[in-house]
Amino acid sequence: MATRLKHMAGAAAVAPLALLARVLDPPLRALQRVAGQGGMITFFLVPNMAIFGIFVLLPLCINFVYSMTAGPELFLAQRDWVGGAQYAKLLDCEDYTRPATCDEDLFWTAVWNTARFVVVQVTLLVVCATVTALILNRELRARGFWRAVFFFPVLLSPVVVGLIWRWILQRDGILNAAMLDLGLDPVNWLIERGWAFAATVGVTIWAHLGFYALILLAGLQAIPRDLYEAAEMDGTRPARMFWRITLPLLMPNLLVVIVLALIRAVQVFDEAYVLTGGGPGTATLYMTQYIYEVGFASLLKNPGLAAAASILMGGVLVVLTLVQLGLGRRGESKGKAR
Amino acid sequence: MGRITLTGIEKAFGHVEVLKGIDLDIGEGELVVFVGPSGCGKSTLLRLIAGLDRPTGGRIEINGADVTRVGAADRGLAMVFQSYALYPHMTVRQNLSFGLENIHMPKPEIATRIAEAARMLEIEPLMERRPGQLSGGQRQRVAIGRAIVRNPTAFLLDEPLSNLDAELRVSMRAELAALHDRLGTTMIYVTHDQVEAMTLADRIVVLRAGRIDQVDTPLGLYNRPANLFVAGFIGAPNMNFFAARIAGGQAVLPGGLAVPVPGRAAEGADITIGIRPQHMRLADPGAPALEARVTLVEALGAETVVHATLADGERILTVLPGQPGLERDAVVRLAFDSADLHGFDGAGQRLPEP
Ligand SMILES: Nc1ncnc2c1ncn2[C@@H]1O[C@H](COP(=O)(O)OP(=O)(O)O)[C@@H](O)[C@H]1O
Ligand SMILES: [Mg+2]
Repeated sequence: MATRLKHMAGAAAVAPLALLARVLDPPLRALQRVAGQGGMITFFLVPNMAIFGIFVLLPLCINFVYSMTAGPELFLAQRDWVGGAQYAKLLDCEDYTRPATCDEDLFWTAVWNTARFVVVQVTLLVVCATVTALILNRELRARGFWRAVFFFPVLLSPVVVGLIWRWILQRDGILNAAMLDLGLDPVNWLIERGWAFAATVGVTIWAHLGFYALILLAGLQAIPRDLYEAAEMDGTRPARMFWRITLPLLMPNLLVVIVLALIRAVQVFDEAYVLTGGGPGTATLYMTQYIYEVGFASLLKNPGLAAAASILMGGVLVVLTLVQLGLGRRGESKGKAR
Repeated sequence: MGRITLTGIEKAFGHVEVLKGIDLDIGEGELVVFVGPSGCGKSTLLRLIAGLDRPTGGRIEINGADVTRVGAADRGLAMVFQSYALYPHMTVRQNLSFGLENIHMPKPEIATRIAEAARMLEIEPLMERRPGQLSGGQRQRVAIGRAIVRNPTAFLLDEPLSNLDAELRVSMRAELAALHDRLGTTMIYVTHDQVEAMTLADRIVVLRAGRIDQVDTPLGLYNRPANLFVAGFIGAPNMNFFAARIAGGQAVLPGGLAVPVPGRAAEGADITIGIRPQHMRLADPGAPALEARVTLVEALGAETVVHATLADGERILTVLPGQPGLERDAVVRLAFDSADLHGFDGAGQRLPEP
């Protein structure tokens, strides 16, 4: 009875689609007669290609042209062509490790801040996500609940994440109030350089952890249980079990997680911007924020420079993405071999 | 060294009692087969012996030492899993050496042991491959090799051949028997296939619904099944059963044929008579016989399987030697020796000897 109801409900849901298919059939047939089978492929691909072209490919090209121009004007026609001058300005430096010696010192500050952020955040994130996944994979009580708890922040908008943590961490925020109650001295979490950096690292980890833990959890669950039993019969101690069985078998998922986390860490912006605004000073100024401020938000708008910086950053992301695609392809061919 | 004693073993998962009191003594160097229908608790019992699970009641002893609370690693046993459970990211060589490295065995000794096992199992050319690059039969050998190199007190094998095709299964079965002869190590072998059990075992343990029905040698089980279940489970095709009543000191079969009672039974009692398909033959004309109508003839050349129904509609199956040339709907008259009859009481237990 229930299955029949389900069946009827399914049929009812499909009915409009069936009708649509019948209506579309004659014109599409006519079109195929004209365009041929190969032409139909083009016909179906064109809408998607158009959207991708207009909103991704075209802006990318325009951005590249912008990076060859200078001046505060917004319209390309009014801008001066300067060739590679913007790139030269960005790369003009006596000592790349000391931004103060560079022509565009903020750019290099942002580069090094981002590099430090990427190394620290990705390392901690991957370790925390692995530990979380290992714990969630155990037979613990209310496992579904805990999985939901860790995944929940992923569903929040980045701005909401930034705001929540600002309320907690700001000078008169919840954390300091709690510390005062406990008789501790309050700390200027978002105003001291080290703490502010730590806050952007911590908050972005909190926000993204669940996503990566989920990928790793899926990997852990794909490891057959009897491998662990075989290892147990082989007299394997728990630590060795982790290093010799779990970790190697989790490696494909772990690589994906590392590369995805790298790509996202390079692009860090929204949570950190809402949380610290890049401060104190330029202590948490990251690449994307630098591009945004140079291009749109500062008094001395310089869209050309911002475009050049974004092209350079895009280059880094392209490399990382190629690595990820390569890993994905390797995983696929491995999957086929099994 | 390799004596395993189980006393009153019980195992429950939550409220589900899977094993309900298992007592068993497995002697040194013996090859014991646990056989029984799917879900009867064979794997569960093997895992308890292995130490992968803990019993809810009872004692497990290995060579006289109580190991009930001892972990799997410290029982000195090796297991071959139905899925082989080879480490997929390690080469065959690494699969074999992993357990030995765990106990910090010196490298030269590891190498010697692996070389010896590889030669014995003829897997030398495969040593640098990974499990994913091996066929099912080769994986099976590696899994056995991984057990052998550890030089265990006993081998535990859980349906080790069930993932192989029929032909390979027969040849691996023979190899396992040869391996057991050669190593002389105690083996506990789990299968649901009674042919495997019959061909391999020194002794067979028939399990049903968490209890041991009978423990005996293969021929002991075949010749003196303790109850209807064992009688039906061992031997192929299955034993034929007829309802019979004791009258005048004889058992009266459907159709009125009276035969000597196989065992002791009270006058007027209802019993079940069993006879194996291979123990019937075509009767001489005029001699007393069981009459049946043929419903199907399966001629296999060397023998012929005849399906038939008795006067009361009971179905019967016989395996006759050669090619007797029977047709469908023919009436056959079947005779048998009274020594080949098995008798079971109303509760399905074998009748006591007269
Ligand atoms: N971990 C478990 N949790 C609950 N029930 C189990 C578990 N393992 C086995 N069982 C149950 O125990 C019974 C015996 O299982 P098993 O020993 O695997 O049978 P088999 O004789 O086929 O090897 C089955 O009914 C099975 O459902
Ligand atoms: Mg089983």
